[in-house]
Amino acid sequence: MSFEMWAEKYRPKTLDEMVNQKEIVERLKSFVKAKNVPHCIFAGPPGTGKTTAALCLARDLYGDAYREHIMELNASDERGIDVVRETVKTFARIRSIGEVPFKIMILDEADNMTADAQQALRRTMERYTETCRFILCANYSGKIIEPIQSRCAPFRFTYLPREEHDKYLRHIADNEGVKLLNDGLDAIYEVCGGDLRRAINTLQAAASLGKPVDAKIVYSIAGRANPADVQKMIETAMKGNFLEARKQLREMIQKYGVAGSDIIRQIHTEIFRADIPEPWKIKLADIVGEIDYRLVEGADEEVQLSALLARLVEAAYEIKGLKKV
Amino acid sequence: MYQPWAVKYKPKSLKEVVGNKEAIRKFVEWVKSWDGGIPKKRAAFLYGPPGVGKTVTVEALANDFRMELVEKNASDYRTEEAVKRFAGLASQYSSLFGTKRIILFDELDGLTGTADKGGVKAITDIIKTAQCPIVLIANNAFDPRFANLRNYCLLIEFKKPPATEVLKHLKAICLKEGIDAEENALKFIAQRSEGDIRSAVTDLQALAQGKKRLSYEDVAWLGFRDRQETIFTVLRMILYGKTCEGAKRAVNMADVDIDMLFEWIYENVPAHLTNPHDLARAMDALSMADVYRGRIRTTQDWSFVRYVIDFMTAGVAMARVNTKTSGWTPFRFPERIQALSKSKEERAMQLEIGRKIKRKCHISAQRASKEVLPYLRIIFKNNVEMAAGIAKWLDLTPEMIAYLAENDKKANTIIKLLE
Ligand SMILES: Nc1ncnc2c1ncn2[C@@H]1O[C@H](COP(=O)(O)OP(=O)(O)OP(=O)(O)O)[C@@H](O)[C@H]1O
Ligand SMILES: Nc1ncnc2c1ncn2[C@@H]1O[C@H](COP(=O)(O)OP(=O)(O)OP(=O)(O)O)[C@@H](O)[C@H]1O
Ligand SMILES: [Mg+2]
Ligand SMILES: [Mg+2]
Repeated sequence: MSFEMWAEKYRPKTLDEMVNQKEIVERLKSFVKAKNVPHCIFAGPPGTGKTTAALCLARDLYGDAYREHIMELNASDERGIDVVRETVKTFARIRSIGEVPFKIMILDEADNMTADAQQALRRTMERYTETCRFILCANYSGKIIEPIQSRCAPFRFTYLPREEHDKYLRHIADNEGVKLLNDGLDAIYEVCGGDLRRAINTLQAAASLGKPVDAKIVYSIAGRANPADVQKMIETAMKGNFLEARKQLREMIQKYGVAGSDIIRQIHTEIFRADIPEPWKIKLADIVGEIDYRLVEGADEEVQLSALLARLVEAAYEIKGLKKV
Repeated sequence: MYQPWAVKYKPKSLKEVVGNKEAIRKFVEWVKSWDGGIPKKRAAFLYGPPGVGKTVTVEALANDFRMELVEKNASDYRTEEAVKRFAGLASQYSSLFGTKRIILFDELDGLTGTADKGGVKAITDIIKTAQCPIVLIANNAFDPRFANLRNYCLLIEFKKPPATEVLKHLKAICLKEGIDAEENALKFIAQRSEGDIRSAVTDLQALAQGKKRLSYEDVAWLGFRDRQETIFTVLRMILYGKTCEGAKRAVNMADVDIDMLFEWIYENVPAHLTNPHDLARAMDALSMADVYRGRIRTTQDWSFVRYVIDFMTAGVAMARVNTKTSGWTPFRFPERIQALSKSKEERAMQLEIGRKIKRKCHISAQRASKEVLPYLRIIFKNNVEMAAGIAKWLDLTPEMIAYLAENDKKANTIIKLLE
């Protein structure tokens, strides 16, 4: 078992090593061959290979010294307009020396850039096309303003299909000497969707327990990583204990840093599994939807979600009343 | 359930009423004058600031004189018809059993809407022909709505008693509760109440109940928060408010900013609105208040704050439909304020670790701190070798290792492995 982060260790180095995303990989390879790359947008869900593809493309294009020719900037950490004005511009306008006449700027998580910064970027992209090509990675291309979209070739990444996912994880498990059981693999796929970063992290955390990786371990890991304590919280609320449920919620948000949108997504799932009369499920779904919407507008996730908890307490109270009659 | 001390130590006899001797003397004289026939003014209008003993005086008098007290608040007589229902009672001085009767219309300030105009007029009509003493109470007798009504009333002003009188009252309560209180501490509470005996007593309870000793330090912290009105009074106005107007007014009285007041309300709603329907309504109101806070943030238009206030005060007050107001529940300091400051440090630590991850893993520090860090926690708790390997690879500091391992012994083992 190696002691670094496996998601990084097994990140493909060249386009050939990329799993799936066949059409995309093919076209990127043709860019390398022609030694010409247009501005690109790589859009798609997390952990599907966007950042990886950008890095592989660079390595295939420039060789092992590719670091000298690229700059990686993460918009989630540096989202303001100043970054575009200073850092990006400075990098973009200086010509690269070498076989390939342009550099590559990787703007990762670009959907977190402010609209202002994007507007500023728009001019930079045009002025310095000769010397610099931009690759924007984003989960939602909708958050990229249209003028920029129109300057870029769009590539849509999708979750890995099940067989590819399984093959890749088995490969890692074998290599690390980890016993990965079938139901463990099923569980990883269920918990992580097709997000390979999460899948690999889950596998590594599960392996750290030093036991064969089965479904039970995976669920407990996933529960701790993105607390399925949600279920417990719902139960507490449905038992009528609002204060305790709010405390659990607070813990999840403050201690584990779980996002409100994550929690509400799980609440939504749990409601349809809950032991309550069928018509109530759809009533509650309506309430969950309303709060989900308010989460977007509101200032404080705990306040919004605890309003939802209060509605659950109320619903349980009414359901109990119905049963008595 | 505890009894509010304001109720427990409510004067039962006029002797026990603190201060306002002159007002009480005038009032007693007027009531006694009924024995010699109907006096010129058939109604007495007691007015003055909240919590100085207006209602209590009437109740104590009825008790001392063994009179039958018919007591009504604004909500009972909002309309003309409602008031007229009391007309019959007012037409006789004595009841069937020979006890003398006194009729009290309390909290006249509560009559505001146009529908209530008829109520004031109907009261005036009853007074004109009343056969027994009628008492009116309001904070402000000089409201234009009462202009005509005033002509038929003997006006009696209740003033704020001096702090020394309030102090005496507080001392007496401490004695009965077996609390050894520092003079300074009680003085502080008395002064801060500015003559509102009710709030002084309530604050004393909030601060001293269950204690054997009450020191100046125990109370002094209240000082910076509220010069105008105690936060407890403000909360009471909101959580137990009967009108939107009253609940909204609380905001101006609070000496804390809107966000802090929001925290106080958010903390205390569940314990004070226990009925599930009321709770859901109140939390919904707070949720809407928060939505408007969000809208202020996105639009940078501060004027939306009026809707924040509407929901967090009036919205919460109107949520109370089923929960009884009896009993005493103490107000609690917002727990989240403490938690928030703690978690600020924690978030800073998480972000620092996120930065370390970012340098190696091509993901933003922001997301790494949320999406990758939880897995590290598990690894650091379960596998010291792997943890040491990762700590080295990411170049984590000992503090970061300790944070991830959540256990000093484990953290030390990991650090040793690094060397
Ligand atoms: N197509 C892929 N082939 C091989 N490995 C992959 C692929 N996609 C993701 N991975 C694995 O998942 C990890 C994260 O992938 P990557 O950083 O490319 O995700 P991303 O699409 O940029 O996600 P995000 O939207 O979260 O930034 C990589 O280190 C790699 O181990
Ligand atoms: N003069 C007083 N002496 C002793 N206790 C008092 C006095 N005034 C107020 N209190 C305490 O405060 C409580 C409320 O007093 P009371 O109901 O008379 O207030 P009020 O003057 O009618 O105020 P409001 O205008 O708000 O109705 C009483 O139950 C009692 O505990
Ligand atoms: Mg990425
Ligand atoms: Mg009163």
